[in-house]
Amino acid sequence: MVNPVLLLAVPLGLAFLTPLLAFISDRIARYVPVAGMLFNCVVSVSLIPSVLNRPIIVQTGGFAPPFGINLVAGPLGITLAAVIALVGLAVSVYGLAYVKEGATVKYHVLYLLLLTGATGVVLTGDIFNLFVFYEILCISSYALVAYSGDKNGVEAAVKYLIQGSIGSGLALIGIAILYGVFGTLNMADIARNIGSTGILNTTLFIALAFMVAGFGVEAAVFPLNAWLPDAHSSAPAPISAILSGIAIKVGIYVVVRIVFTVFGAPSMFMLLVVIGVVTLLIGEMSAFSQNNIKRMLAYSSVGQVGLIVFALGMATTGGISGGLFQIISHALAKSLLFLATGYMIYRSGSMEISSLQGMGKRMPLTCCAFTIGAFSLVGLPPFAGFPGKFMIVRAAIAQQQHLFTFLIALVLFGTIIEACYFFRIVQAAYFTGPREEPDAGKQRREEAPLFALAPMLGLLVFIIALGVYPEPVIRLLDSCAAELLNRFDYIKGVLG
Amino acid sequence: MRSLIAVILLAVIGLGLALCLSDMPFGANHIATAEKAGRHYLEKAPQETGSANVVTAVVVTYRGFDTLGEVTVLFIAAIGLGMVLYRRKKQEGKPPQPASFVLQTGCCFLFPLILILGVYIFLHGHLTPGGGFQGGVIVASGFLLAYIGCADMKIRHRWFEATESLAGSAFVIAGMAGLAAGGSFLMNFMPKGNFNTLFSAGIIPIIYIAIGLKVGAELTGLIANLLERAE
Repeated sequence: MVNPVLLLAVPLGLAFLTPLLAFISDRIARYVPVAGMLFNCVVSVSLIPSVLNRPIIVQTGGFAPPFGINLVAGPLGITLAAVIALVGLAVSVYGLAYVKEGATVKYHVLYLLLLTGATGVVLTGDIFNLFVFYEILCISSYALVAYSGDKNGVEAAVKYLIQGSIGSGLALIGIAILYGVFGTLNMADIARNIGSTGILNTTLFIALAFMVAGFGVEAAVFPLNAWLPDAHSSAPAPISAILSGIAIKVGIYVVVRIVFTVFGAPSMFMLLVVIGVVTLLIGEMSAFSQNNIKRMLAYSSVGQVGLIVFALGMATTGGISGGLFQIISHALAKSLLFLATGYMIYRSGSMEISSLQGMGKRMPLTCCAFTIGAFSLVGLPPFAGFPGKFMIVRAAIAQQQHLFTFLIALVLFGTIIEACYFFRIVQAAYFTGPREEPDAGKQRREEAPLFALAPMLGLLVFIIALGVYPEPVIRLLDSCAAELLNRFDYIKGVLG
Repeated sequence: MRSLIAVILLAVIGLGLALCLSDMPFGANHIATAEKAGRHYLEKAPQETGSANVVTAVVVTYRGFDTLGEVTVLFIAAIGLGMVLYRRKKQEGKPPQPASFVLQTGCCFLFPLILILGVYIFLHGHLTPGGGFQGGVIVASGFLLAYIGCADMKIRHRWFEATESLAGSAFVIAGMAGLAAGGSFLMNFMPKGNFNTLFSAGIIPIIYIAIGLKVGAELTGLIANLLERAE
């Protein structure tokens, strides 16, 4: 069996080696992220059967927890690591062709480190180690948002940097308070000390509030998401895809892990549900009123985050697996959308939705990928978005409370808004001709290059496969939900 | 009006936090649970790690994985800055005035001494206060002095990038060697040697040399990047 620590050590080592490889040839350096993510994909998928049996606890430095840092490769961690590696692989292949100008070697190093940080966050079992990997994730994304070097990019990156740093600072204070109270940083040990009462004293409540607010910035839940539309729309296409597809999911994971496993605070569940619905409605309505396609996609991510947080906040097996399914389907669909949009913008030269008219004839394959991604996000069968939304609706009705019935109605209303703005683009791309121009008749096909089409096709296959045959993944996610709901099993697994 | 509301809100939040945290026993040692890990490190670190400096033992062995992460964070910061500055044009301006003879001579005299101090600090990280990060910063401060004092100073970026890259890889390889030899990433696989001598504490000095070189090269690269743009 492979040691899960290699999921972090190998990409880190590759990232450190990349500048040396670049001395030999820039071409080799470009392929490093592809190699790293391919390795992670293979390893994490091969680990899934054994972690379903029992979680693998990995010590570092040869010290048993709580004195050394340990990784917890449970079903949830490995599943998310596999999703990160899969989407990361697709987007890194896309980046081979798309990223041509500027400091390309540095771009590839930062890209690989961003994904390593994300993988570290979902695998670690130590709260300070989680913070370190979270910082790796955040700092590399600040830099990558500014990659283009133009005014918009730098401004968005600085906004993101300021809000993200305040969030990280708050989270760090929360961690410091926990360490001050319990004298340990191991998440299982802290959870054991907090116990099962579900009632927190004021000090612990403040620690929880700091951490949820701090990590919530990256999760982009409602009052903390002002940075997101700028950052996601100014970044280069592959980075937008990773930020929307992976980075915000990692933020959600951290908040959920802290609320469910570390604190075991049922009083927070209702807050998550309400924040989720508010975030959903605000995100979808803002997306509806955008004219810039990348900003529209960014706001749509806000809406989807709301849906995911709503589902996870229900804290039932059905709700959590629905939320996790939505995490996976949104990661696939939104990165596909950003990748497709990248070349559509490149060809049309503008981010305005009106400039996409007639794209269906100009770039048929890319447009087809965009359409399927959009349909999946809206939740049409047979694409991956449908089982996710269906599970969430079913879980909400199974609560048998009027409140949840009302909230799920609001959620479905949000989905209708979502359908409106996505169909508007599909209509513009296929059913309206290009604007009246002298050479409108001579417009020829300008498809995206092969290196961009291949990863889009890969994501497309996964979206359709998940939509047609979701059972194996749902079974996997049910055991992830069990991991979140039974915090005593988690504690026992780590500390024995 | 808005700023008034903001001030009042901040005051309310601050007061609430102060009230809630006032009963927290910061720094006190009367709660047994509150010093669980800390007590263990103080009592067991010398025999478990062979390092005379307990802080180093915690940073490099017990929480070595965090340190690898911190090194990566610094690496990202340096690379990110290089990437953002890459597309900036050099600012046109007057060439800097050369420093006076006294300053130049002083810099040339101090530069090697500062480098030696930096190397001393990270070589003795497991024995005396300081370690890889501190030593690396001192090395970089030597280069900063040289940049300020000698107007025609230019480092060869390739060498520094190569050092950075090799030192970072050495850290990861040391960790992998622990995994291969002892079954746990970053585990000590070397003899602990005589306590409180230079050749002791297993892999700690090796890791600290790697960190010292990496931090020194990275910060020097940062300084060079910024100063060469400003010229």
